[in-house]
Amino acid sequence: MKVLRLLWDYFRHNLMSAMAYRGAFLLQMGGMVLNDAMLLFFWWVLFSQFPTLQGWNLSGVMTLYGVIAFGFGVAHVFCGNAFRLAQVIASGELDYYLALPADPLIHAIVSRMSLSAWGDILFGLIVFVIAAPARWTSLPFFVLLGLLAAVILLAFAILVGSLAFWIGSADNLALQLVNAMITFGTYPAEIFPGLVRLLLYTLIPAAFVGSVPAQLLEHFEWGRMALFLAVTAGIALAAWLVFRCGLRRYESGNRVVLRG
Amino acid sequence: MIRYGFVLLTAARQQLAYRAEFAMRAISMALFMGVFMALWSTAYGVSGRSELASYGLVDIVWYLAMTETIVLSASRVFVEISEAVRAGDLTYTLVRPLSYPFYQVANSLGGSAPRFALNLAVAAAVVTVGLGRVGGSLAGLAAFLGLAVLAMLLDALVAVLIGLAAFWIEETTPIFWIYQKLLFTIGGLFLPLEMFPAWLQDLARWLPFQLITYAPARAFVDFDPAFVLRAAGMQLAYIAVLTLLLLGVWGRAKRRLVIHGG
Repeated sequence: MKVLRLLWDYFRHNLMSAMAYRGAFLLQMGGMVLNDAMLLFFWWVLFSQFPTLQGWNLSGVMTLYGVIAFGFGVAHVFCGNAFRLAQVIASGELDYYLALPADPLIHAIVSRMSLSAWGDILFGLIVFVIAAPARWTSLPFFVLLGLLAAVILLAFAILVGSLAFWIGSADNLALQLVNAMITFGTYPAEIFPGLVRLLLYTLIPAAFVGSVPAQLLEHFEWGRMALFLAVTAGIALAAWLVFRCGLRRYESGNRVVLRG
Repeated sequence: MIRYGFVLLTAARQQLAYRAEFAMRAISMALFMGVFMALWSTAYGVSGRSELASYGLVDIVWYLAMTETIVLSASRVFVEISEAVRAGDLTYTLVRPLSYPFYQVANSLGGSAPRFALNLAVAAAVVTVGLGRVGGSLAGLAAFLGLAVLAMLLDALVAVLIGLAAFWIEETTPIFWIYQKLLFTIGGLFLPLEMFPAWLQDLARWLPFQLITYAPARAFVDFDPAFVLRAAGMQLAYIAVLTLLLLGVWGRAKRRLVIHGG
């Protein structure tokens, strides 16, 4: 309950400060919707040449884009700081969160909001409805899967960000790994050869933020849903444990941080 | 001109100082090329086709290696410019014996040059190993390098214009996103123009975006002197237009500049 309260309060305050520059906020949001929409151009042309690719068609790829954009957007709007966790740890910024009663991990990740990510959320919802308008009744299921994809993305970002506890300046490495997760996530996992596909279901679990939820929306299967839920819970638990474990090794940089 | 040459050299040296970042860029490039090789191998494999709009698998993968080389080396100088405009740092650069927008063009080209060399080497290595075949030709490579220099200049001019937009709007990043996505789409980053529907091809051929990505890469995979000359002519024409536009915009921007001291 306390966690939800913290999340809500940070969300409200971040949104209020964003609204102080309303023009910039709307421009970023609109720009991101356009940006995401233009990424679909490639698939539109590709599927005009090959109607299906390993069982995927344009509507399937649009659903995949919808769910990953929505998940990415939610993760960056509510927990925008998770994606710079390595920097927070390496620079000693974590001291600030350790001295306060709230859970340091939750507190550290919720304290930043990406404004452009609102555009990703909006794009995700729009593209899902456009991909197959008759399916609009499954919008709540889409939102649920998108939220789970956001949890997986955040857990992965925390896992790679926590590397900073062991190797110091891991911010570039963490950034590249998160980028790899998102890049691979935007392609149907089935197009990759066996070994790479295995990697996308295990070490860099990109298939679970794009392909798997998109397939669930296209053809629901209980087995696949159970696997998706298990992976989400597993990776979230792993992220929490690894962060806890790393925290024991944390050494403060005695950095003086001024926060408004 | 010599002064701008020095700016370019200094910016290039600065890039080389960050070795870790350089290595990360190489990994990104290898990753992108890996994804595209897998995608196109699957596409050609499952369809049973050996050619698509006159591009075979080897052509399309080498085409992508060249377009990605350019786009991943493209200018990000708009960030520096828009921050300088917002923070007021721009004022002290005005006393330098250089024109600020052209100083930034040289700065951008200097930043891009080492990245371009690295990206080209990595992309070529990954594709050669992945496909087991070298694409293009030596004449094609020379044409690619020539057109790529003009392409990077065009890109730098656009980036400076986007940065200067900060005089009028609060946030310039969304404009950059749109420009970047225009390169991705009608610029032919992912797909050569020949694969587009006919109406879109006609439109894209007149716009400057294809001169930055499509034209140099196409010259590499399918060398044709007439195509190269036409593309270079169009690039020079657009460079002239954008230079005039930049001068006009800078003239107006200077009138909006208010210095509060400090």
